Amino acid sequence: MIEAKNIYKSFAELEVLSDVSFTVNQGEVISVIGPSGSGKSTLLRCLIGLEAIDSGEIYIEGLSVKKAGRKAYQKMGMVFQGFNLFPHKTVLGNLIEAPIVVNGEDKKEVKKRAEALLEKVGLYDKKDAYPSQLSGGQKQRVAIARALAMQPDIMLFDEPTSSLDPELVGEVLTVIRDLADENITMMVVTHEMSFAQDVSDRVFFMDHGKIISDSVPEKIFVNPDSTRIQNFLTKILSQNDGSL
Amino acid sequence: MDYIINVSGYILEGSIVTFQLYLITALLSVFLGIAGALGKISKIPLLNSFLSFYTWVFRGTPLLLQLFFAYYGLPVLGITLEPFPAAALTFTINYGAYFTEIFRGGIESIDNGQYEAAQVLGMNYRQTMSRIIIPQTVKRVLPATSNEAINLVKDSALVAVIGLGDLLRAAKVAVTRDFSIIPFIIAAVFYLIISSVIVNIFRRLENKYSVYE
Repeated sequence: MIEAKNIYKSFAELEVLSDVSFTVNQGEVISVIGPSGSGKSTLLRCLIGLEAIDSGEIYIEGLSVKKAGRKAYQKMGMVFQGFNLFPHKTVLGNLIEAPIVVNGEDKKEVKKRAEALLEKVGLYDKKDAYPSQLSGGQKQRVAIARALAMQPDIMLFDEPTSSLDPELVGEVLTVIRDLADENITMMVVTHEMSFAQDVSDRVFFMDHGKIISDSVPEKIFVNPDSTRIQNFLTKILSQNDGSL
Repeated sequence: MDYIINVSGYILEGSIVTFQLYLITALLSVFLGIAGALGKISKIPLLNSFLSFYTWVFRGTPLLLQLFFAYYGLPVLGITLEPFPAAALTFTINYGAYFTEIFRGGIESIDNGQYEAAQVLGMNYRQTMSRIIIPQTVKRVLPATSNEAINLVKDSALVAVIGLGDLLRAAKVAVTRDFSIIPFIIAAVFYLIISSVIVNIFRRLENKYSVYE
């Protein structure tokens, strides 16, 4: 569960998040959509501590990040647009690194868990490959497995398919869809509207650093109540050949 | 032939000092370079300025001058060093300055996403540097480090000027003694052999690291 209260964040003069508050319940899947520069990525980055907030409160599974720090952050896993795999480690090495180094877990057990995760994302046969030998879609699936290897309660996805070739988007979305069915809490910043509509319990529409709509997908996609949302959807759907 | 073997033996004795100096300098200056690089990328202003001053001075003045200063200059300040410690100290500090800049550049060339990935996986600074950043840096700085390693072989000959009986000085003594240039040629061959061994070691290292990327 995530609770955010009155978050403000500025980069120099630019206010990126302005009085953002929301709650994400256990097991909910939230899509965050909106124009570029609306603060979607910054919101995720603030939640997991990659950016410091200027004011406000964030609670992760009831823990205040201000007080609990690392302990609260570690309840979350994050997947980046640019994968950020460790190039000097094999696929399996990427997965087992943090559980061993950070949690001090037994290597044998971590390996077993990591192999099961690779099985799940369909990349068991690539476990000894290096990231440079993988396609973008495969890299992102490894990145998802790597985050899951730390057994987080919450997964944050920051535009997980934005740097992929169009034909590789599907395999990554399938993996995320499967996760959504597993009762893991998720927040996904995405430009894939049909995906957002299918998997989300709720959709946050962000614009100018605010969540201007927090509602079920049907409401946003079928019956948007604001012209800003309508304009955004018209624009993005025309780019996607009109298919939702 | 006997003469060549004799003189080679003599020069080989001198090269012991060269080897000792080489190993000590290589080891210490690499550690100094790592510490310097980490200090330079840290966000402590005083440390940054101090390290910038350090690399500015030691990369901007001749190594020979630094060697003279350590051996002839420091006694004026009341610090007298034997030739070998003076040479080892000077070389370590001088090469440490170069390695500081090489390693700093290497560390800064690592994508910020690597730090972020490590952070969201819960790694602290020490874990991030030792497990993620430094191993990737090693690969990137190998070519530049290899150059410095070869330079050090040749620079070590400078110690002859403060009376240290190294490889070159042994050759020089033999030349003067025997009125023959053969000792110089033997010395050149020795230097080439040492350089080749070092080039080879680095080539192996680069091959080892080329399995990824």
